[in-house]
Amino acid sequence: MYVELKNINKNFGSYKASDNVNFGIEKGKLAALLGPSGSGKTTILRMIAGLESPDSGEIIIDGKTVNNIPASKRGIGFVFQNYALFRYMTVYDNIAFGLNVKKTDKKKTDERVRELIELIGLKGLEKRYPSQLSGGQRQRVAFARAIAPNPQLLLLDEPFAAIDAKVRQELRSWLKEMIEKLGVTSIFVTHDRDEAIEVADDIIITNKGRIEQKGSPYEIYQNPATAFTASFFGQAAFIDDYGSFKTFDKIENADKAILRPEFVRVTKKGEVQKYKNSASEGIVERVSFRGSDMEITVRCGGNVLSARRGLDEENISRGEKVDVFIYRMFVTKGDNVYLLENKAVREDTIVI
Amino acid sequence: MHKNQSKTVKYILIGICAVFAFLFLLLPLYIVFAEALRDGIEKYRDAVTDEYTIKAVLLTVEATACAVVINTIFGIFAAWAVGKFNFKGKKVFTTLIDLPVTISPIIAGLIFVLIFGRQSVLYPFLQNMGIKVVFAVPGIILATVFVTFPFISRELIPVLEAQGTDEEEAAALMGAGGFTIFTKVTFPHIKWAFLYGLVLCTARAMGEFGAVSVLSGHLRGKTNTLPLHIEILFNEFQYVPAFAVSSILVIMAVIILIARSVIEYKGKKEC
Amino acid sequence: MNKRSKRVIPGFGLSMGISLTILSFIVIIPLASLVVYTANLSLGEIIEVITKPRVLSSFKVSFFTAFTASAVNAVMGVILAWVLVRYDFPFKRLLDGMIELPFALPTAVAGIALTALTADKGLIGEIFAQYGIKIAYTKTGIIIALIFVGIPFVVRSVQPVLEKLDYSYEEAAGVLGASRFTVFRKVIFPEIKPALMTGFGLAMGRCIGEYGSVVFIAGNMPYKTEITPLIIMSELQEYDYASATAIALVMLIFAFLLLFFINLIQARNTKIIKGGR
Repeated sequence: MYVELKNINKNFGSYKASDNVNFGIEKGKLAALLGPSGSGKTTILRMIAGLESPDSGEIIIDGKTVNNIPASKRGIGFVFQNYALFRYMTVYDNIAFGLNVKKTDKKKTDERVRELIELIGLKGLEKRYPSQLSGGQRQRVAFARAIAPNPQLLLLDEPFAAIDAKVRQELRSWLKEMIEKLGVTSIFVTHDRDEAIEVADDIIITNKGRIEQKGSPYEIYQNPATAFTASFFGQAAFIDDYGSFKTFDKIENADKAILRPEFVRVTKKGEVQKYKNSASEGIVERVSFRGSDMEITVRCGGNVLSARRGLDEENISRGEKVDVFIYRMFVTKGDNVYLLENKAVREDTIVI
Repeated sequence: MHKNQSKTVKYILIGICAVFAFLFLLLPLYIVFAEALRDGIEKYRDAVTDEYTIKAVLLTVEATACAVVINTIFGIFAAWAVGKFNFKGKKVFTTLIDLPVTISPIIAGLIFVLIFGRQSVLYPFLQNMGIKVVFAVPGIILATVFVTFPFISRELIPVLEAQGTDEEEAAALMGAGGFTIFTKVTFPHIKWAFLYGLVLCTARAMGEFGAVSVLSGHLRGKTNTLPLHIEILFNEFQYVPAFAVSSILVIMAVIILIARSVIEYKGKKEC
Repeated sequence: MNKRSKRVIPGFGLSMGISLTILSFIVIIPLASLVVYTANLSLGEIIEVITKPRVLSSFKVSFFTAFTASAVNAVMGVILAWVLVRYDFPFKRLLDGMIELPFALPTAVAGIALTALTADKGLIGEIFAQYGIKIAYTKTGIIIALIFVGIPFVVRSVQPVLEKLDYSYEEAAGVLGASRFTVFRKVIFPEIKPALMTGFGLAMGRCIGEYGSVVFIAGNMPYKTEITPLIIMSELQEYDYASATAIALVMLIFAFLLLFFINLIQARNTKIIKGGR
C-alpha cells in the first residue's frame, strides 16, 4: 500500500469527523472518497495532506509515518475545492510558485512550467490572471500547479464541484487521462456517485466519519456491503413491504428493500414478458423523457417505483395499467444488506 | 402624476443635501482661506513661514510618522494573527484593539498623565533616567499612537478574514515560508486596504488635538503640534496667522480626501 | 498533543507575540493604570467629585448637545445617504467624498472655522444676530460643531444598507398599492433602522467625547456651555488627577454602555436576518 490510514480518529468539538478510519491505496491508483456532505471525506483528505492532524491513529505514506512531518515536507500536490489559485499571480507564476519556493534552477522551472501549460492546453494564456479564466481553465491551472513539483501523491478536494455540468463531463475524462499518463497516486473527494464511478479505480465510501466500503466501482455497485452503500450508490426507491412482490425469498425482520431502476422492468399489457406470472400490476404515474431513455414512475400497490424504457420501445402513457417485473432487490436489515434474486429468473437459469 | 410627484421629492431632497453640504462642509473650508488671506498674501506667507509654525509642522510630521510606523507594524501582525488563525480570546483581542477610538481623546491623554505624570510611581524613576514624557515630545507621540491605534489593523482584518486561508494553505503546502507567503500571496489582497488605513491614520494623527493637548504643556517651538499652535494663535486673537496655519491642514485634508477616493475607487475596481 | 506546531500557515507565534507586545504597551498597560488609579479612590470621593453642581451641569450640557446633534444627524444622515444612493446629479461624487471631510479635517481647524462663521460678526452669525439669535458661544454653537463631527458616522452606516436594498421590495409594495410614504415607512425604514441606530450610537459616542471642535465655539461658560471633557482638562491643568479620573470614569462607563447598546443592535439584527441562529 502506498498510502495507508490506520485507526484514525478525529473530533471537532463533539462532532466525530473520523471514526476509526482504516484504508489503504495502492501506488499509481486513482481513488475516490465518496460520501454525502458532512461524512468526513474532506477531513480525511486534509489529514493526509497535513492540513489537519488526527487525534489518534497513523498516516503512512510510502512506508513512512508522516503524522509529525509538516504539510510542506510531505511532497503532496493538493488541488483545493475552489482551486485557491493565487489571485494576484498570472497563470505562469501560479504554476511556477512551487518550483520557485524550492529554489529550482530558473531554466528548469521555465521548461517545466511551459511543458505543463502545454499539457493542460492553455498555451498563450500564460499572462492571464485567474479571474480572466473560465472555471474549467482554472481547474486545469490548479491541477498543473499541484503537479509542477512532481509530487508522489496528488490530492483533489471536490475537483469538479465548481464547474458547470457540460464542462464537468469533459474535465472528468481529461483528468482521468492526465493522471493515468503521469502515473501519480491520486485521491479525490466527491459527493457525486457518477463522478466517482467514471473517474476512480477504487472507491472508498464514507458515512458519518466511518468507512462503509472500499472497492472498485463495479464491486461496490454489484455487492454493496452495507445498507448505506446500497442506498447511496445508485438511484434508489425504498420499499417497506417487499413481500408484496411475487416470487422472492423472505428474510426475517428485514427493514426495507432498495430497488434500482435497472432492477425493474415495465411492460405494456400486450407486450411479451417472459416472467408474466411473477409480475405485478401497476399504474403509470409519470413518464418523463431523460434524454437517452424514458423514466417511468409506476405505482404498485402502496409502492412507487421507477424504471427505464428504451426510446425504441412502444410508448407508455400516464394512467396506463402495466406489468411490473422485478429482477432483484437489496434487502436491508440494520447495517447489513442482502441481495435477493427473483426466483423466477433463478429457475430459468437452472432450466437452461 | 406619480412621476412628477417623485421628481419633486427628488429635487427637494437633493436641495436639502446641497444646502447642508454648503453650510457645514464647504463654507468652513472657504472661511479658513478667506480669513487667512484677509490681510493679503504677504501676511499669509509670514504666518506660514514663521519659525514656530515650521517647528510645529516638523513635530506634527514626527508624531504622525511614528503613529503610522507603529500602527502599521502592529496592524500587519495583528491582522495576520486574527485573520488567518483561530485562537482563544480572539474576541477580547479585537475589542481591545478598537478600544482607543471609543475613548474620548481627553481621557486618552489622562491615562498617560496617570502613568508618567509626577504623581506616578514611575515618575522618580523616569526622572533619574532623564526621561520626560508628560509635557514633552514622547508624550505627544504616545498620545498620537494611542488615538490612531486601530486605524490600520481594522482595515486589514476584515479583508484577510473574507479572503479565507485557502491561498495561504496552498502556498504553505508547497513549502513556502511565512515571509514569502505574506509578500507574494497575501499582501496583494490587502494592498488597497492597507493604503486606505494608512491615509486614515495619517489624517487622524496630524489633526489630533485633545489627547495631545493634555500631554503637551503648550511650549511654543518645543511641544506644539500644528493643531496646538493654531489654538494658541486663536486664543491670542491672532486670527490671520491662526487661519493661515489652518490652511496648511485644510490642504492636507483635501489631499487626504482625494487620495482616499482614489484608493477606494482603485480597490473596488480590482476586486 | 502539541497543537501549535501543527498549524499549516506559519507565523502565528511571531505575529501574536509582536502584536500582543505592542497592544500591551499602547493599550492594556495604560488602561490598567487607569483602573489601578481608580481603585485608590474611595467611592465617597468619586461621588463627591461627580455630584458637584458644575460637574453635573457639564454632564447635562454634554449629553443634551450630543443627543441633539446626533438626532439631527440621524435625519440628515438618512437623507444624505438616500440622495447619494438613489439619485444621479452633478457633483455627486464630490458630495460623496466631502462627507468624509470631518474625518480628515483636524478638529481644531473645524472648531475655529465654525466659530469664525457663526460669531456675531461672522458670515452666518451676522444674519442671525439681526434677529437677536446668538450661535457661537452658546449651546447652539456646540450642537453645530457636533453635527459637523458626527455626520459621516450616520451616512457611512446607512449608505451600504441602502445600496444593498433590493428595488424589488419597493416595487412589490408599490404594486400592492402602497403610497410612497407608506413604502418608506413600512418597507425601507425597518431595513435601515439597525444601521441608523448604529450610526446614531457611533456619532453619539464621538460627540460625547469630542473636545477639539467644541472648545473654540463653546465659550466654555461654567453651568452653561462647559462640556465634560473641558472640566477634565481644567482639573488636569490644576493637577487634580483624582477629580479628573473620577469624572473620566463616568464618561467611560457611558461610552461602554453605548458600545454595548450598539453591539446589541447588531447582534439582534444578524439574528433576524439569519433566522434566529
